[in-house]
This record gives sequence, structure tokens and C-alpha cells, in this order.
Amino acid sequence: MRSVAIAILLVVSILLAGCSGSAPANKTLKVIAAGSLLAPFAEAEQEFEASHPGIDVQIEGHGSIQVIRQVTDLGRTADVIAVADESLIPDLMYRPMKNSSRNYTDWYRPISTNEMVIAYTNKSRYHEEISQENWYRILARPDVRLGFSNPMLDAAGYRSLMVLQLAEGEYREPLLFETLITDHFPSTITVSAGEEGTTISLPEIMRPSDDKVVIRDGSIYLLSLLSAGGIDYAIEYRSVAEGMNLSYVTLPASINLGSAEYAERYRNVTVILGFPRFATIGSERNGLPVVYAVTIPANAPNPDLAREFIGYIANESAKGRPGWPAPLPEGAVS
Amino acid sequence: MREMALSRTIVLSVTILVFSLVLAGCTAPVQDSLAADWRLTINGTTEKVLTMKDVRALPPVNGHGYCVSTTGFRFGPYTCKGVDLRDLAGVAGGVGEGRQVWVSAPDGYLWVFDADQLEGRGFVTFDENLKEIPSPPLRIILMYEQNGTPLTYDDGGPARIAIISEQPGVITEGSAWVKWVDRIEIRE
Repeated sequence: MRSVAIAILLVVSILLAGCSGSAPANKTLKVIAAGSLLAPFAEAEQEFEASHPGIDVQIEGHGSIQVIRQVTDLGRTADVIAVADESLIPDLMYRPMKNSSRNYTDWYRPISTNEMVIAYTNKSRYHEEISQENWYRILARPDVRLGFSNPMLDAAGYRSLMVLQLAEGEYREPLLFETLITDHFPSTITVSAGEEGTTISLPEIMRPSDDKVVIRDGSIYLLSLLSAGGIDYAIEYRSVAEGMNLSYVTLPASINLGSAEYAERYRNVTVILGFPRFATIGSERNGLPVVYAVTIPANAPNPDLAREFIGYIANESAKGRPGWPAPLPEGAVS
Repeated sequence: MREMALSRTIVLSVTILVFSLVLAGCTAPVQDSLAADWRLTINGTTEKVLTMKDVRALPPVNGHGYCVSTTGFRFGPYTCKGVDLRDLAGVAGGVGEGRQVWVSAPDGYLWVFDADQLEGRGFVTFDENLKEIPSPPLRIILMYEQNGTPLTYDDGGPARIAIISEQPGVITEGSAWVKWVDRIEIRE
């Protein structure tokens, strides 16, 4: 009697502790990725799982800095880190892990690139007129509403401001940035030109004073507004616009942040954010070509599998799949 | 003899049950120590350091909270209890016109609210389908209870920012919901 009772209690205790082991032990590959990679990575997840029975790929999305912070500041483990700005990996991960002499990582692999475009729908005002030649004049019309994501939260947000500032020089329209941006914020946005280039300084709160400009935390909210007719145009990554089947105007390579050839020109624009949202990285964002990159944290639970997944992503990216960030130009990767 | 065996069985059974409950994470000492060790520094015209007991002694506010990440992942809905940020700022001199409240955490995260937001204005709100809706009256609170229990570490405890309304199902942007808050500064 006594031994039966003890046996029952032992079984109950093991079950309570979640140690029954009744389910098959699938291996989980944890991937933390930038928001603009979520749609292509969702496709990759399905394909990779189909070719790797027993592997569960779990993908979680954040802004690129938050992607890295999950591992460096919040102490979470991940197998693959994928960001929309290659410079963030050396800046934030080439340093020792807590309680270890090893760095979070010492390498990264660039996998693809992207460019900024002006996305729109057939509900957008003047959509029949807009072209690569006149887009900035269309956006400047008083009744046209323009959206971009919050520069505090999303690389696409500060990159949007860089594009508009670069467009001033490209089209010799010295009041373009003021007309499109500065005039629509009650707090001061300052633009100063110096030997190092142009610096845009933002206020702490990015809240427009009228309907001309709309800012949202992430792309998905902008795209939903665009589809509903709440804004006419959104500054977006080309792959995101393609993935959502939106119409878009491409911009000259000299301002679209998509070409390594123009890296020097992009570097002429700097955005200073209103406050350092993350203590581990400053408030300054410099103009650079958009390059997506991946790495495997040194403490990743499944590094071999992670390498396989990265290889798969790199190969698929190189094919130039629709809705995926574009392949890197030939010779861009050593 | 039989009574002795029975009592030994009971003692052994209780030991096993306690052991299993600890293994299953059903005990609360970690939560208690989280709140006991926590301190909140409020820097305004004066600087004050508050304990959880001090914070809980301020007028409590209840409401519904629900937030969404930049990539569309929803957290909630929750019932939230905490202290209005204006009342907390009041402990160190209050928030004058044109001033801002900087809220930060030991993980290095910082968010800034302006005076308009402290009055519940200027937030983007969504329904359950993430469709934008006109904003009902909102309040920013420092939440210490979620769904009737003390906030756990994983949820940002012992205290985090929440933006609440009296109306359930109102979603706000999650970037302002600072977790693990330990410092509030009132700035020009």
C-alpha cells in the first residue's frame, strides 16, 4: 500500500516537473531576425523544415538593434541573428559575453542588400502621375500624405530621412527636406551642413503637427495605412514593397542607399536621434549602403544547424527571390 | 507499528510533493525577493528613492492594457494595476509645462514621454485586428500587478510601464512599455 502511494506520488511529481518525456524531442533552431526579413524567413522556415525532418525553426522578429540586444543585454540564447544593418554586429557583438572571456561573436556574413523606394497603391493621390523623375514634387504637394517608420525604432525610419536629405542635393531642391519634413513637426528638427556632411538632429518625440506626415512604429502599420488610404506614399524597402505587391517608384542609386558605389555620398548624411534608446549604442546613425548580415552567437545551442540554415538563406538570397532582399553584387562577399 | 508506518508514509509523501512543487516552479520566494530588492529612483526638482512598499502606498490605478511589437506581435490583453506616472513624478516635484519624463531600466533601455502623453494624448491605438481606432482616454502607469498577481521578471517585473484604458481590447505600441523600470527623470 505504502509503496503504491509513493510510486503514484513520484509519477505525479515527475509530471508536475515536466519531465515525463512523452513527446518526441524535436530540435529547435531559434532565429531572431529584423522585421524586414520576416516574410522571406517565413518561406525559408517552411522549406528548411521540409528538408530537415524533426527540426523546428522558430523565427522571432524585432528591430535590428533589439534583435542583437535579445542576446547581449537580455541574456537570451539564439542560434542565428539576422539584422538589416551589417555594422551593428561588430559594434554590438564583438565584445565579451557576461561572465566569459569569449566575444558574443567575432564574425558575420553579409547576405543581401536592399534599397529604399516610394511605395504606393492605386488609391494614392496622383498615382497616375508619379514617376522616377517627379516623385519628390508629387510628395511635396500639400494634399499628399507621406508615411515612414519611426527613426527611433526602425532603421527604415532614419534611412527614409537620409534619402530625402540626399534628394535635396540630387535634384538641387534646397527646400525639399524642409517642405516634406521639418515644417510638419512642432519640435525642432535641425539640419546643419558642415565639412563632414549634413547632420539631421531629431527631437525626443517624433510627433507630426499635421496630417502631411505620418509616423508609425514599424513597416506593417505603415503598409496597413497605405492599403486603407490613410497615407498616399510610404518610404519603404524595395523587398517589403514587392512582398506586399505594392506599386513603387525606384530612386536613383545615388540616393537609394542600395549601392556600394555611392557609399561615400551616403556617408555625407548623419541622423542624430532624439535620445539614446539603448545604452549600448549611441544616438548617431550614419548613411551607409543597406547590407543584411547574419551571425551565430558564441553560446548558440545548435551552431552546426545554424550554419546549415545560414548557408540555406545565403544560397536562396543569391537567387534574387521575389520579396527577398536583393543579392549582393558579384564580388561583394569575400 | 502500523501507525508509525503510516506517519512515515505521510512525511515522505509531503516531502515528495513539496519537492515536486519546487521543481514545477510553483513557489513564490523569487517573486517576493524581486520586489523586496527593487528600488525606484525619481529625479525631478528633488531626488527620491522609493521601495515597492512606497510605490504601492500611492493611489492605485486599474485598467486594461494590451500592446503590440514593431513587427506586429501582440502581448496581452491584461488587467493592469499600478501608479499613474504623474503621481510618481509628483513625489519629486511634478512635471511642469513643457517638461518630459525619461523612463529607463538597468538593461539600458530608455523611453521618453512628453507632457501631452502624460495626459493620455498622442498615442496610436489599434483594435484586436491591428486596425487603427480613435484613441479612448489613456493613462500611463507604472504597473506592478498584471492579471491580479505581482508582475514577474519575464513580464518586466517588478515594475514596468503600461498604457491603459477603461475600455478592454485597445492596443497601443509596445515601444513605450519599458520593462524593469528603475529610474524616472523629469527633464526640460
